[in-house]
Amino acid sequence: MRSLFPTAVALAALLAGAPAASTDAPANAYCYIGWPSDGAVLPAGKPFRVWFGLRNMGVAPKGVAVKNTGHHHLLVDADLPPAGQEIPSDRNHLHFGAGETETMLELPPGKHTLQLVMGDDKHIVHSPPVVSRKITITVK
Amino acid sequence: MRFPLVFSVLLAASLHAGTTVAAPTPAPENAQVYFIWPHDGTVINGGKFWVRMGLRNMGVAPKGTDVKNTGHHHLLIDTDPPPMTEPIPNDRNHLHFGAGETEARVELPPGTHTLQLLLGDKDHIPFDPPVMSKKITVTVK
Repeated sequence: MRSLFPTAVALAALLAGAPAASTDAPANAYCYIGWPSDGAVLPAGKPFRVWFGLRNMGVAPKGVAVKNTGHHHLLVDADLPPAGQEIPSDRNHLHFGAGETETMLELPPGKHTLQLVMGDDKHIVHSPPVVSRKITITVK
Repeated sequence: MRFPLVFSVLLAASLHAGTTVAAPTPAPENAQVYFIWPHDGTVINGGKFWVRMGLRNMGVAPKGTDVKNTGHHHLLIDTDPPPMTEPIPNDRNHLHFGAGETEARVELPPGTHTLQLLLGDKDHIPFDPPVMSKKITVTVK
């Protein structure tokens, strides 16, 4: 029994270092971009508003662990980050950790994709992922 | 001498606690809550609809969450704004969205109804200045 104890401690330490389990989201949670619409053509040089839609789930700022909540992340010209990992924070992955439900965005002329994904209190995608359809807009 | 000192300290503390009114939670001057949907004057067939709650220059947080510049939505139906220094009532005319919801499924009987949004702090008390939408009117047919 005695010799097992250090092994158990080492195992526990290993487990603690492993990626944290994803936070559960309601199966019917639904995230969508309320505006702009897929295929929208927007004038260049003019910021536009993006509306974050969320149903059957609530918004909470980062660091706040309340069941069935999360905060919005807007992916601009980026693919979905891998499940179970922290969503990167850069110009292609915008974080709304203050609980924002809309934002102003200005993009250079051309085609762009937008997609919303919810992250939990630690910016990790929920299980199942709460993610919008990826839309394409044109700035010109 | 010891006793009266302790006594007066206790007395002062209890008086202080008894008379203190919590200061309202400040909100950014440019914070704005508004209806994304429905619009003022919308006619709704059937009476069931989604209310989409918009918020600018502030964030949403569930009730009980003490994070600066955040609050949660309250939907006032067929009622005037409540007192701005007390918790918003919780009844069928004052719907609370303490789970951080930004949309709500609402069902109303046929007729004309008013809707208004009012943001509450972690304790459901309106902010200073109040973050309140225009009161809109919808008609259910």
